[in-house]
Amino acid sequence: MPAGERYHDRVAGWLTGFAVLWSLLGMTAGVYIAAELVWPTIDFGQEWLSYGRLRNLHTNAVIFGFGVSALMATAFYSVQRTCHVPLFAPGLAWFVALAWQATLLAGGASLLAGWTGGKEYAELEWPIDIAIAVVWVCFAVVFFGTIARRRIQAIYVSNWFYGALIIVIAMLHIVNSLAIPVTWSKSYSLFAGAQDAIVQWWYGHNAVGFLLTGGFLGMLYYFLPKHADRPIWSYRLSIVAFWAFTYSYIWAGPHHLHYNAVPEWVQSLGMIMSLVLLAPSWATMVNGVMTVAGAWEKLRTDVALKFIVLSLAFYGLATFEGPMMSIKSVNVVSHFTDWTVGHVHSGALGWNALITFGTFYFLVPRLVGAELHSTRLANWHFWLALAGVMLYVLAMWGAGVSQGLLWLSLDEIGELSFSFKDIMASMAPYYALRLVAGVVFLSGAVLMAINLWMTVKGRVIVRVAPPAVAESAA
Amino acid sequence: MTWFLFAGDMLVMAFMAGLAVWALWGSSDEAVEKTAGIPLDDERDDA
Repeated sequence: MPAGERYHDRVAGWLTGFAVLWSLLGMTAGVYIAAELVWPTIDFGQEWLSYGRLRNLHTNAVIFGFGVSALMATAFYSVQRTCHVPLFAPGLAWFVALAWQATLLAGGASLLAGWTGGKEYAELEWPIDIAIAVVWVCFAVVFFGTIARRRIQAIYVSNWFYGALIIVIAMLHIVNSLAIPVTWSKSYSLFAGAQDAIVQWWYGHNAVGFLLTGGFLGMLYYFLPKHADRPIWSYRLSIVAFWAFTYSYIWAGPHHLHYNAVPEWVQSLGMIMSLVLLAPSWATMVNGVMTVAGAWEKLRTDVALKFIVLSLAFYGLATFEGPMMSIKSVNVVSHFTDWTVGHVHSGALGWNALITFGTFYFLVPRLVGAELHSTRLANWHFWLALAGVMLYVLAMWGAGVSQGLLWLSLDEIGELSFSFKDIMASMAPYYALRLVAGVVFLSGAVLMAINLWMTVKGRVIVRVAPPAVAESAA
Repeated sequence: MTWFLFAGDMLVMAFMAGLAVWALWGSSDEAVEKTAGIPLDDERDDA
C-alpha cells in the first residue's frame, strides 16, 4: 500500500448531505399532495402546484434524489473498504455526485413546467434521460474500476448487489427511454401499445427490484455487520439469495398488467415469478435477523441499529405482501386502489427510508470522527418514523380494501352498487389520516437533518487509510 | 407455449439447483468465513 494512501470519503459525505436534502424536499412534496387530496383547492389554480405535477416531483425526488444519492454515497464508501483500495478516478466520482444533483434539479424543474414522457417513474423527458445515462455510466466506471483494482481476491456480497443495481438500472433506463424527440420538451416512445406497456413495467418493476430492493440490500449487507459487529449470519445464504433474487425479479414485471391487453401467459409468468421471489426475499430477511440475534442488547443503546432492524421487519412485510398482491385473484381487488399505494409506502418508508436513516446515523459521525449530536433526537426520530409509517399503511390498507370491495359490489340486477364518486367521497377519513402520517414521518426526517447538521457543523471529513496488510487471497 | 414455459421453468430450476450446489461446496469454510469478515476489518486503526 503506497504511503499516505487514504480512502476518498468526502464525496460520500457530500452525497449523504444531498440525500438528506432530497428526502426533505421529496417528502414535503408528498405531504403537500396528500393535503391536496384532503383540500383539493390548495393548488390555488397554479399548474405547477397541481397534483399531477407535484406527484411526479415527489416520486422523482424521493427515489432518484434521496434514494440514489444515498446509494451512491454508501456504494462509494463501502466499495473502497471492501476492496481495501481508494476509489478509482476520484475526480470522476465528484463529477457523478455533482452532475447527478444538477440533472435532478433540471429534471424537477422540467416536471413542474409540465414536461413529461407520461411513463410512471420514467417521466423525465429525453434531454434529462440522456444526462442520466451519461452520469450513470460514469458511476459504473468509478465503481467497477475500484473493484478491478481491489487488493483482495473475493468480491464481498454488498458489491454484487451494488453492481447489479448499476448494470440493470442502466439497461432498464436506456431501453425504456428509447424515444423519438419532436421538440426539446416532448418525445414519443419507440414502443407502442401492449409492447410499450410490457417494456414500461419491465422497467418499472425492476427499478423497484434492483434499485429500491437490490441497491438497498447492498447497503444492508455492508452496514448491518458493521452495526452488529459480527459477520453476516450465513454468507453462503446471501450468495444464493443474490442469484435467486436476480434471476427471479427480472421476470416479475407483468404482474402490473393483470387483466390488461397483454397475453395471458405473460401475466401468469409474472405472477409465478413474483411468488418465487418470496424465497430469496425472506432468505435475506432471515439472514439479517439472525445476524442481529445474540446482539439484541445493542438495540437498547444503538439507535442506528434499531432503524435497521425495524427496516428488516418492513422488508419482510413488503416482500410478503407484494407476491400476494401479484396473485391474480387478489390483484382483482387490489389493483387501481390505494392498497397499492400502501404497499409501495410500506416498502419505501418502512424499508428504504428506515435503513437509510439508520445507515446515516452510523455513517455521518464516523465520517467526521465525532459522536452523534443527540441520541435523544434520534430516538424521537425513530418513534416518529415508526408511528408515521404504521399510520400510513393502515390508512391506505383500509382505503384500498374498501375501494376494491365496493367497486366489485353488484346489485341484484348486476349493476354497480356504488358510484365511483360516492366511494371516493367515503375515502375522506383515510386520506386525512394519510396526511397526518406524512406530517409525522416528515417531522422525524427534519429532526434527523438537524441532528446530522449539528454533528458535522464545524468539522471536516477524517482521512482513513486501508488496512496496512492487504489480504492476498480469500 | 406450455412446453416452452415448462422447459424454461426447468432451466431456471436447474440453474438454481446448480447455484445452490456451487454456493454450498464451491468454496472452503475458511474462505467463506474470511470473505464474510471483510466489513469488520477494513480500516487501519493507526491512520
